Amino acid sequence: MFELKRTPFHERTSRLSLPQNWRRWAGYIVAGSYDLVLDREYWAIRDAAALIDITPLMKYVIEGPDAAKLLHRMTPRDVLKMAVGQVFYTGWCDDDGKMLDDGTISRLAETKFRLTSAEPSLRWLAMNAVGMDVTITEVTDQVAALSLQGPKSRAILNRVCAKPLDKLKFFRMTESALAGKPVTISRTGYTGDLGYEIWMDAGDALAVWDALIEAGRDYGIVPCGILAMDMARVEAGLFMIDVDYTAANHAWIGGQKSTPFEMGLGWTVALDKPGYFVGRRALEREHKEGSAWKLIGLEVDWQGLEQLYARVGLPPQIPGMAMRGSLPVMHAGKQIGYASTSTWSPVLKKYIALAHVQRPHYEPGTRLAMEVTVEHHRLHAPATVVKLPFYEPEWKRK
Amino acid sequence: MAYDVIIIGAGHNGLVAANYLAKAGKKVLVLERRNIPGGQLVSESLGDGFNNVDTLHASAQLRPDIVADLGLRIEAPRAGSAYTCLLDGGKRLTLDADPARASAAIREFSARDAERWPEFVTFMDRAAAFLDAAYRTPMPRLPHFALREGLPLAGLLWKLRRLGGRDMFRVVRAMSMSAEEFTGDWFESEALRAAVSALAIHGVTLGPMSAGTGYTLMHNWLNRGGLAHRPVAGGVGTITAALVEALIARGGEVRTSAEVRNVVVEHQRARGVCLASGEEITADCVISAADPRRTFLQLVGAAELPPEFVWQAQSIKLRGCVAKVHIATDGRHGLPDGTLAVAPSIRYLERAYDAAKYGEISAQPYLEVTMSGNIVSIHFQFAPYALRQADWEAARAVVAQRAIDTLDAQYPGFKASVQRTQVITARDLESNYGLSEGDLNHGQLILDQIFFMRPLPGWSKHATPIDGLYLCGSGVHGGGGISGASGRNAARSIVGDSR
Repeated sequence: MFELKRTPFHERTSRLSLPQNWRRWAGYIVAGSYDLVLDREYWAIRDAAALIDITPLMKYVIEGPDAAKLLHRMTPRDVLKMAVGQVFYTGWCDDDGKMLDDGTISRLAETKFRLTSAEPSLRWLAMNAVGMDVTITEVTDQVAALSLQGPKSRAILNRVCAKPLDKLKFFRMTESALAGKPVTISRTGYTGDLGYEIWMDAGDALAVWDALIEAGRDYGIVPCGILAMDMARVEAGLFMIDVDYTAANHAWIGGQKSTPFEMGLGWTVALDKPGYFVGRRALEREHKEGSAWKLIGLEVDWQGLEQLYARVGLPPQIPGMAMRGSLPVMHAGKQIGYASTSTWSPVLKKYIALAHVQRPHYEPGTRLAMEVTVEHHRLHAPATVVKLPFYEPEWKRK
Repeated sequence: MAYDVIIIGAGHNGLVAANYLAKAGKKVLVLERRNIPGGQLVSESLGDGFNNVDTLHASAQLRPDIVADLGLRIEAPRAGSAYTCLLDGGKRLTLDADPARASAAIREFSARDAERWPEFVTFMDRAAAFLDAAYRTPMPRLPHFALREGLPLAGLLWKLRRLGGRDMFRVVRAMSMSAEEFTGDWFESEALRAAVSALAIHGVTLGPMSAGTGYTLMHNWLNRGGLAHRPVAGGVGTITAALVEALIARGGEVRTSAEVRNVVVEHQRARGVCLASGEEITADCVISAADPRRTFLQLVGAAELPPEFVWQAQSIKLRGCVAKVHIATDGRHGLPDGTLAVAPSIRYLERAYDAAKYGEISAQPYLEVTMSGNIVSIHFQFAPYALRQADWEAARAVVAQRAIDTLDAQYPGFKASVQRTQVITARDLESNYGLSEGDLNHGQLILDQIFFMRPLPGWSKHATPIDGLYLCGSGVHGGGGISGASGRNAARSIVGDSR
């Protein structure tokens, strides 16, 4: 029988998770949450520090004289310009410029990179590496990963790391040691807060976990599941594969596919970089002609929402976690898009959503409406298009 | 010097394309890796007394419309000589180009077959004419093509319809059949069925029991104009000479010993070529007559091409299996004139092919033999490129030995006449003639690599993912064998594109 894998942190996480609400993630099971409600974990991300098991991320080590060339060709970013110790976030596309996946590239050395992805990518890497002097090794199971997110994350790490992280800039990485174990630490995350991701040998996983929990005790460290992270990532304007976009190789029909421009990743598409990269022509065309769709932020107008509920004598009711159901987005009574993830934002005190909206309705400030279900009736609440991210604390990049 | 068009490879298709383009007013430069033009269409002096030998092909004909369009000074091929099958026990089946005389010979084996032979020849000629029309028709780029692209196809279907109900059905059905089944539909005599089946597997890594050898039979029948070779006076190299002469007369240029290292690509557009010497030559358009795999993976490079395309280009089936053996004799070889074939039975041919499947040289090979004075030239199948014991020096000796022994069994005393041998293996075809995996057809002629699937599904119209780079060699539709069809089609498509 097909069995889902357990991460090297399972021994700890399984004892801590009260609801035992395991979620499936890339062939692993991970804790959905550690409490019956998400508040404690969510507020740890925003106010203290949350420790999240992100081992299921697919990880590949790409090494050899042509390693940079391979990633330069496969992704739209200018990898040749990347410094050692730098991390790039990027999507990558098929040759029609449609997104296949997204993840991070870390330049570990001049000729050595680590790529993370959501979907198995070995075949795509191999197809792109034809004729190149490069070895590609999947290390998903060998490398365990933890994400420590929140304003106190740096202070905690400084207590247990071999060297202080004060000088580690946003989207940079460094080699270090933690609890005597070698780790690499990147200043990255999926919450839009100050945060780090810690990469270690799977055999060292428990020692690193224990050391972080111990060092974080005074700072209010909280083990955090992926449901609370899901709320934070919407606030941060970060999308998720198979929720907010469909990988081009999984799409049944053309209409399900998205491009980096449509996903708001225009800043990752280096059209000025030299040479061919996969999807280049299609992306150049889209850049010139403009995108038909765009992923935008939608803020539901609270008073409008209140009015809809007031008609039936209720106060507004909003789910306490991120909703992954598609909700129609309307303009003048006509559907012009859909929200792919919506959530209550505790820190902003707003009902927000990531939405795909057709041209010309995607400009910030545009007044639209989003479907809400009030006492079994489907109604439309007024909403405004806003720039992403919804929430960006000043300490994120500092 | 700026050129409109650079053509990589001065094989017959490169030269045909060059001539058509020069005729259309383009400034054309043809670059050839070797020190002589011609590609596979060469009559060379191989040294050691082998002078002006038709190195790879015993005969060749360009399509008559090409000869006429380009006003080539090529003598019309001589009437077909006899095609003699060497059977066990010294028996012979001689199929003369004249159907009546062939019938008389067949009568010894089967009266029924003798009666059917003229009808068979007529059918094959009509099937070949249909294929000729197909090779003149640009194939749509499936699966998505505009109605306009489909129009030529409609014309082709009309030609097929005009073959008449019975023959139309026969042609379509025969393509996917094996030669063994197809010849069984017509004939009862094993000797005759084997004689015809031998042509079906000539030059392809297939056996007479492989599906699709019905198609390769028609294809080879078309290119050869029947079963037997029609020798070219002065050697096949005279065709190359006529093509070069015509090109120069039209203001075109041919440079030999000018190996292209890579196609210069900027922003997914071909800008010219870079030679092995480092010299760069620019042109508006580059046409490669090299095989598709070499063109894409070596001359362009995988890094410049979409990954799915690279994957498909890697998967093109190129499977060389032919060795050519030239034997200098003292003149007392005892072999008669014409085309001789060692193909005594269908099983014999299939067993010869079996060896190729397992990476071995056929112990009892299918041979096709032609003579030119004291020189005996043998087309040897199968000596596969993918040889399990990859010792090619030893393989060369084995091929020569088996060819000589096989002929000596038919003509005792042949061995005694042998003075020197020259063997060209699939490996040599790759290293000396630039044919990937030694495949004479630039890609096997099998059902999933013909018509709109040649060279790759979706890329049947000579264009490539690189703007301004086109293919014109045997690896594209119309190609396989010597006919010039793919060179002509490419030139027409390019002139049409630039209009």
